[in-house]
Amino acid sequence: MLLFLFRRIGLMLVTALCLTFIVFALTNMPAKLETLAKTQAGSRMTDAEVDRWLERNGYASPMLVRYGEWLGVLPGWVRTDDGGTVTGRCVALRDTPEAAGERCGILQGDWGFSTRFRAGVAEVLSARLGATGLLMMWVLIVMVPMALIVGILAGMREGSRTDRALSTVAIASTATPEYVSGVLLIALLASSTVGLSPLLVSWGWIDGPVLFQGNARSALEDITLSNFTLPVLTIALYGMGYVARITRASMTEVMTQQYIRTARLKGVSFGKIVVKHALRNALIAPFTVIMLQIPWLLNGVVISEVLFSYPGFGWTLYEAAVNNDIELLLASSVVAVVVVLVTQLISDVGYVYLNPRIRIS
Amino acid sequence: MEPLSWFEILARIAQQLLPVWVALVLTYALSIRFKRRLGLYGKLFDSTVGMIGFGIVMFWLFVALFANFVVTHDSLSQVSGMRNAVPGSALRDPRDLYPYYLLGGDSLARDVFSRMVMGAREVLRIAPFAAMISFMIGITLGLPAGYFAGKLDTGLTFLANLVLAFPVILLFFLLVAPEIQETPIPRVMAGILFLVPILFVTVLLNARFFTQPAKRNLYVGIVLAVGAWAYLGLVFNADPVGLWSMSPNLLNVFVAVVFVNAPTVFRIVRGITLDIKTRDYVAAAQTRGEGPWYIMLWEILPNARGPLIVDFCLRIGYTTILLGTLGFFGLGVSPESPDWGSTINAGRRLLTVYPHPALVPALSLMSLVLGLNLLADGLREESLRD
Amino acid sequence: MKDFSQEAVDRVHPAADVYARDYRAGKLSRREFLTRATALGLAAPAAYGLIGLAAPSVAQAQTPTMGGTLKMQMAIKAQRDPRTWDWSELANACRGWLEYLVDYQRDGTLLPVLLEGWEASDDAKTYTLRVRPGVKWNNGDDFTAADVAHNFERWCDGSVEGNSMATRMGSLVENNMVREGGIEIVDDLTVRINLSQPDIALMVSVADYPAAVMHPSFTGDDPVANPIGTGPYLPVSYEPGIGAVVERNADHTWWNEGNGAYLDRIEFIDLGTDPAAWVASAESGEIDLNYQAQGDIIDIFDAIGMPRTEAVTAATIAVRFNQENEPYDNKDVRKALQLAVSNAIVLELGYNDLGTVAENHHVCPIHPEYAELAPLTVDGAAARAAIEAAGLGDYEFELISIDEPWQAETCDAVAAQIRDAGINIKRTILPGATFWNDWTKYPFSATEWNMRPLGVQILNLAYRTGVPWNEAAFSNEEFDTLLDQANGIADADARREVMHRLEEIMQEEGVLIQPYWRSIFRNARPNVHGAEMHPTFVVDYVKYWLS
Repeated sequence: MLLFLFRRIGLMLVTALCLTFIVFALTNMPAKLETLAKTQAGSRMTDAEVDRWLERNGYASPMLVRYGEWLGVLPGWVRTDDGGTVTGRCVALRDTPEAAGERCGILQGDWGFSTRFRAGVAEVLSARLGATGLLMMWVLIVMVPMALIVGILAGMREGSRTDRALSTVAIASTATPEYVSGVLLIALLASSTVGLSPLLVSWGWIDGPVLFQGNARSALEDITLSNFTLPVLTIALYGMGYVARITRASMTEVMTQQYIRTARLKGVSFGKIVVKHALRNALIAPFTVIMLQIPWLLNGVVISEVLFSYPGFGWTLYEAAVNNDIELLLASSVVAVVVVLVTQLISDVGYVYLNPRIRIS
Repeated sequence: MEPLSWFEILARIAQQLLPVWVALVLTYALSIRFKRRLGLYGKLFDSTVGMIGFGIVMFWLFVALFANFVVTHDSLSQVSGMRNAVPGSALRDPRDLYPYYLLGGDSLARDVFSRMVMGAREVLRIAPFAAMISFMIGITLGLPAGYFAGKLDTGLTFLANLVLAFPVILLFFLLVAPEIQETPIPRVMAGILFLVPILFVTVLLNARFFTQPAKRNLYVGIVLAVGAWAYLGLVFNADPVGLWSMSPNLLNVFVAVVFVNAPTVFRIVRGITLDIKTRDYVAAAQTRGEGPWYIMLWEILPNARGPLIVDFCLRIGYTTILLGTLGFFGLGVSPESPDWGSTINAGRRLLTVYPHPALVPALSLMSLVLGLNLLADGLREESLRD
Repeated sequence: MKDFSQEAVDRVHPAADVYARDYRAGKLSRREFLTRATALGLAAPAAYGLIGLAAPSVAQAQTPTMGGTLKMQMAIKAQRDPRTWDWSELANACRGWLEYLVDYQRDGTLLPVLLEGWEASDDAKTYTLRVRPGVKWNNGDDFTAADVAHNFERWCDGSVEGNSMATRMGSLVENNMVREGGIEIVDDLTVRINLSQPDIALMVSVADYPAAVMHPSFTGDDPVANPIGTGPYLPVSYEPGIGAVVERNADHTWWNEGNGAYLDRIEFIDLGTDPAAWVASAESGEIDLNYQAQGDIIDIFDAIGMPRTEAVTAATIAVRFNQENEPYDNKDVRKALQLAVSNAIVLELGYNDLGTVAENHHVCPIHPEYAELAPLTVDGAAARAAIEAAGLGDYEFELISIDEPWQAETCDAVAAQIRDAGINIKRTILPGATFWNDWTKYPFSATEWNMRPLGVQILNLAYRTGVPWNEAAFSNEEFDTLLDQANGIADADARREVMHRLEEIMQEEGVLIQPYWRSIFRNARPNVHGAEMHPTFVVDYVKYWLS
């Protein structure tokens, strides 16, 4: 078991290294650096000015060297200008001139500086991850029970009318990507001119102009039903259908097993069979799927956070990508890789735990 | 002129869609008549879900095919006075144009109905093609990985997991940026990705007709010639005839979508191969002395077709969603393109007052993906019944 | 010295008299007259007096009430040295503590702020600036003539990348720094600026948003981190992409106590570039006003109880050809494409008719030297014929624009017209971050141009041979010579004659499709006062108040 964990963690590190290198290479192409310079120091700069800016800010050294600096295996760049002021990567990060010439990369725990947000990457990301953590928590709280209930109800009696109806709902939900459902939900619930809100206002059922807010910015300070419902629903709906279908498939399979038939023949009530005998076995597959679903939900998180301007991890990723914020983007991809691989690990370990027939060799 | 009522709008839309109805009725009549002779396709017509799904998919396919006859206006032309016009509005000065905007006008005074129809063509031109290339790549790499296992498998699986560990959106932002288009990266990637299908078909035929050199040379020769022609056009935009061409923008989108999809297909194929290679008929072929490629392509692959066809349908749907995501972030194909993702994104801005320009493509996209999912479900049920 | 300034105050600049005559003859709009007269050192009431009008009383119909928190939607971008600012939003966030020498008012006048007044010499080569006495920095230092001189030196430093003030300082800059003897500190409260060329636009330039007056201790990084300024507010937080909060500074006595700083707290909320998010936010009551609304969005805000305010401007969009690129090096092609486009229809479809039609020469009717030319003709068939004659019948043109909606829609409308004429064209939209990389080099693209008070200013900046912002790669000897000539003519009438020919050259050479002059809009709740839209997007929240 320990060896297995070690190997997985080793694989994780290698994957992260490869990924960050790819991201680094793609964000450090000359054209991308030019974009960065222009967003940082003035959009209408001339080419000569751009070169000077890149030179002054440590972007002129070869790409591999800078990747080494970012990793912390090479000392950060240092530059002394005519006036004798020393500038450099570590000087800026640690805020002391003595740091010049030291190594300051992720190996030393320095995640770098975000050019978009003008703050340390670690600081920015930890705040945003917290916000996304809350969002994901609510998504899972809404999505998982809903999906399991739909899946179990549908899978209990395969081919029944309930099954057909619920399966269609599940399929429809997987066929509605976040950017469609988000748009529909806003039109339906968060507009004071169309949809439900004007009706509810005219009936006197709600006080404000709209039922739910179409913007989740205020959720940063205070999460309320009104500002968090739509982003949570948008993500949960799309993920729900898939998990429900897996649960259904798993449930129908379990329901045809020998021991269920035996139990029925013994005269155990149907409800009892489902709860006592079928559920545990039927939930193994959905568990692994839910775990694997978490990184997949990241897509939805980006769309939903951008759509509802909720500054979480997805929104940060989007902003970093649009503004070519190199170090923030790198740190984000490290986080993404860790999330993907850790959830894979949990899903494997959990699978073993739930299914005593399998042992990890 | 008075604006049309909803009933008139629906009647006129139905009238515009006449060629689609005719084609649908013909397809269904012929298919149901001969369904016993049509294998898995025929069996589809035993399942209600499958028939509904197939109907929706074919509806959009025919809309895309007959788009030129269905549209009422040019999907790009703007008519003065029709900005955000409500569905059924009459043109101010129709002259020789169709006198109504059946589903209204968008924020640039273009006909929403015609854009939806042309959008179907746009979407159905890219999504199935991209899914197909992804499949060929997944199969070409997945079969040997599963069959030979060992170092090859470890290496390829690592690469696939590497791509899958990327958040899709980050990958899109990195790969579909305008700066990347100017670098050789998309061309090189396209060069590699498009080479695989040619390789796949060549090996497929070579393995089959290995014992009949004359036939083999002919088939392989034809494939190589057509392949090289298409390859030149698609990758280097240098097709002398001009039949195969792709704008750098589209190529970039295409490459990114294939790149995201192929690893998943690879994993599925590899899994199935691992399972099937232990079967008796594979062992029988091995004792017969067949080459590994023959076994993979002509013994294992046909037996894996059930789950692959199902996944193929789902993947077209997923690719459609991915293309929409690209459009949503403004990374999509050409900006005026009527493809549904971009139109949803454009219509979103005025959603709360003029919902129709965003709702029409949103519902279209939903229905197409729903149709593909239902079709996949039907196919799965019927193929399991074997 | 005293005598000098006293004499100067009593004397009216001769050119101001000329402007007043122009105004009375109807050659100058009131706004234009006021801008130009105050730029020459006339106080606004005096300028109004010169044309026989009473200055609008500063006191509003209602007396401002103190207190309250205002929430405004505005982009909050990463800060940098003010002289390198390229977005008005960067300046607007800092206006609470960073003030200017003079302010450009909504009505077109220049209002002295940190200056008490100024005088220009007859040849507009020497400016005498009188520093306002009694102004203190919020760290306790006195504001003196040395500070003014220091700021002029900062502005003239062309070696700083992206310092756009250096281009605005014109002939004050030599070899990337202040010219020898350019700035004289006459006494503690008087500075004299000596130019080598006449420049009627100097004072307008120091009212521009990158000209925020900085404390000598400012080293050129972040004006929010170390907010030493003269204004009554201080930043509380500043997070790019998220928002910023500004609060009244209790420990500082502001020189203009009582005439502003009504609000306790201003919260800027950055909701991204998607107007749908602004609307959603407004509907749920999270913002009181937006920064700028466009197109249909203005109507939506109107409908949800946030009426619009309008500012008419000479801001525009230049859909220009780059003459160094094929096929736009061919004048016939450029002219044919112009011929295919009806500017009025572009205004309707691309900008909701919220502006006035322009005439493809980038000189606005509100510019004093504007000369009227014959109306443009539109002829799709002739355009098609000309394109075919140039051998480009099957050529596919490409029109590039940034992804900002109104610009993209305008270009879509231009492309649709060209397509209607039977000419192949495709559109490309680039995201903001990439668009600017090559904005001067695209063969056929659209660029947003902000308002400049004088017609010659924009021609100097964008169409003279070899200037850095000449995105059309336009080079015409006659044009350059005439432009030099125009720059030396203070009288608008005389300049108009030269301008007539300059405009003609612009049209004859088919330099650009310039469809319209835009009006700009801001929507605010009815209880927000003083926050009307400003022609140069100024958000002077020091003057805003809530009832």
